[in-house]
Amino acid sequence: MSNINGKVYAMNVVTPMKPWKTWLLRALFFALWHIKPLQQDLINLSFIEFARWVIIPRRRFPFLAHGQAEEDLQYDYLLFFSNFNGTWNQYIDAFSSVLSRGLNLIWRWSEKFPGSVPITPFKEYIAQVQFDTDYYYTAYPYATANDLKAAHIVQASLDQLAQQANTANPQQFADAYLHFMLQVQAHLGNTGEAPLVS
Amino acid sequence: MPNQNGKVYGLTILSPIIDDETAIPSHDLQIRNYLAKLPTDERSPFALAPATHLTRLVVMDDVIYVGMPACEEHLKSKYLIWESNCDGNLNTYLTGLAASIPEHLDAIWSHCVGYPGASNLQAFIDYMKACQLETTFFFAAVNDKSVTETLRALQTQRAVSDFIANHQGMDPARLQSDFNQFLTELNAKPTPRAGILTPYRDIKTGGRNE
Repeated sequence: MSNINGKVYAMNVVTPMKPWKTWLLRALFFALWHIKPLQQDLINLSFIEFARWVIIPRRRFPFLAHGQAEEDLQYDYLLFFSNFNGTWNQYIDAFSSVLSRGLNLIWRWSEKFPGSVPITPFKEYIAQVQFDTDYYYTAYPYATANDLKAAHIVQASLDQLAQQANTANPQQFADAYLHFMLQVQAHLGNTGEAPLVS
Repeated sequence: MPNQNGKVYGLTILSPIIDDETAIPSHDLQIRNYLAKLPTDERSPFALAPATHLTRLVVMDDVIYVGMPACEEHLKSKYLIWESNCDGNLNTYLTGLAASIPEHLDAIWSHCVGYPGASNLQAFIDYMKACQLETTFFFAAVNDKSVTETLRALQTQRAVSDFIANHQGMDPARLQSDFNQFLTELNAKPTPRAGILTPYRDIKTGGRNE
C-alpha cells in the first residue's frame, strides 16, 4: 500500500450526504464545469495533476446480482480523488488557504463537515474520511504538474524553431534561436527523484 | 460530458468484491495481497499497456461513520475502486488493457462479483461499464496531450536544457548546424518508457530560489 508514487500523492475521500442535498451540489458542479473562470483557483493550485468528484446516489451502487446483496443506504456519497504533488499537509494547508470558499461550497453538503477554516478540525475531518490507496501508478513519477506544463511549452517552442532550422540563413536562425531561448528559459526546470519527506 | 476533459478520460469503476465466508484469505485480502506485490514502476501492468497517465486501485471496506448526529450505516459489499486518468475513449482504453495485460486484470478482478474474464472482450467491456460511475466533475491540469506526447515532451525538455547549456555564445553557423544534428538525434530517440524514474542530474541552474 502506498499513497505516494514519485512526486504524486493519491488522496481518496468518501463523505456521506443527505440525498436532497446532492442536487444542490450537482448544480454547483454544473456551474463550475460550464463557467471556466470559476475553475481559476483550482488551476492556480498548480500542483494538482488530476482531480475528480463523483456523487454516488444511495441506490446507484453497482449491483450485479450473482448473489451480491443490494445496498440499502440512507445517504448518497461524495467520492473525491486527487493526484497532487507534495505532502498531505501541504495540500490540505493550501486548499484551506487558497480554496476555502470553494471547498466549503463543495463539502458543506456532507455530514459533519466542519468547514475548511480553521485548519485543525478540517484536517481531522479529512483524516477521518480518507481511504489509503492499495496500488498507485503514474506514467511520469519524476515530474510535477508544473513540469508537465513546462515540458509541453518547450516542445511547442522547439517544434516552431525546427521549422526554420533548415530554411533560415545562420543569422536569421541565431535570431530565432534567441527568441526561442526567451520563450523556454523559464520552463527548463530539472525533473528527477522527489525529495524525501517525513 | 464530465468523464471526458479534453483528450483525457476520467474512468471511475466500483466493482463489488465477492463475499464468501469460506474463502481463506478473504477475496478483498487476496486483492490487497496481489496489489501489494505489483510493481509501480516501468514494470507496472499499466506501463506495459497503453494510454494510462495515472491510475489507482483502492479496496473500500465500508463507508465511514462521521459521528452523531449522522446516521451510522454500512455497506453490504466491499468494493474495489479503480480510478484511471487515460487517453482516448473508454472502449479503446479497455480493449488495450484486455489485449496487453489480461493475466493481471483476471488476477485482480476475479475476486469481484460477476467478472467474466478479459479473454471475452465484449463481456469484459460490458462488465466494466456496468460497474462504471459517471464522474460529476473532472479536472485535468493538462487535458490535450497523450501519455506518449507527454513522455516525449519531458524528454525534449531535458535535451533542450543540455543543448542550451552547451551552446552558449556559439557562432550562428555552428549553432544552426549543431541544432539540426540535435533535432535529428532527438527525433530518432525512442519514446521513454512509461513509469520509469529518470536518473538524477546534478545540474546547477543558479535560479533565485536556490
